[in-house]
Amino acid sequence: MEQQRLDAFQVIADPSRRQILYLLSKDSLTINALAENFDMSRPAVSKHIKVLQTSGFISIEDVGRERYCSLQQDGFKDLQKWLEYYDAFWANKLQKLGNLLNEKAKKE
Amino acid sequence: MAKIIQHQIFYPNPVTDVWEYLTVSELIAQWLMPTDFKPVVGHEFQFKPGCMDGCDFDGTFYCKVLEVTPYKTLSYSWNFKSLSGKLNTSVVNWTLTEKDNGTELLLVHRGFEGEQMLPIFNLMNPGWAHHMTKLSEALNPETSLTANA
Repeated sequence: MEQQRLDAFQVIADPSRRQILYLLSKDSLTINALAENFDMSRPAVSKHIKVLQTSGFISIEDVGRERYCSLQQDGFKDLQKWLEYYDAFWANKLQKLGNLLNEKAKKE
Repeated sequence: MAKIIQHQIFYPNPVTDVWEYLTVSELIAQWLMPTDFKPVVGHEFQFKPGCMDGCDFDGTFYCKVLEVTPYKTLSYSWNFKSLSGKLNTSVVNWTLTEKDNGTELLLVHRGFEGEQMLPIFNLMNPGWAHHMTKLSEALNPETSLTANA
């Protein structure tokens, strides 16, 4: 099966995948338990789970005969990186703007 | 980590000066980046900071003016593409407030797809270790130690 590598934003742009992450934010769940929360077919749920796993948002561990899904931090790091980047970016740019405006104020 | 990108700064300049620096492309270039911005709703413009280390980014911000209320508010979309060509959206809002001795400038950059997931990021800080520990209890002791570290 072709598994396209999605970026973090694309991964969580899908409402079903967001729902899976919300469910897992409360507790680790088996794939079956997760699937019970959705109207879609079990393979469809599995596909979303696969996307989340591939992109590092969740990990899957075999415990006995069950497969448990848990949140994993790697996937969230891309999002965090962007937010941190923009935060620092704007702080820096606004400082520059302040310097320019200060010079302007002095001249007048 | 940043929950929302928001900066509020006071400048000892009249609101007209601050507005000029936000809306005249030659002035924007002096503090932000070179751009073909025009303060006209619907106008499309770009910033090209180039590629950045560690970010999945094609080097260009694709923007469109959404709102212009002279000397008060300005907003534009701020979209960026990953190297695979998929578009991510966000919005930059500027609000100017006239004060006695200057201008208060508020910047809010939001509307990222990921933003809806922020409650989960927050849950994860304490929650993540807990979930991992719980799962690890069923696995071997080495994994439990790692998850607790």
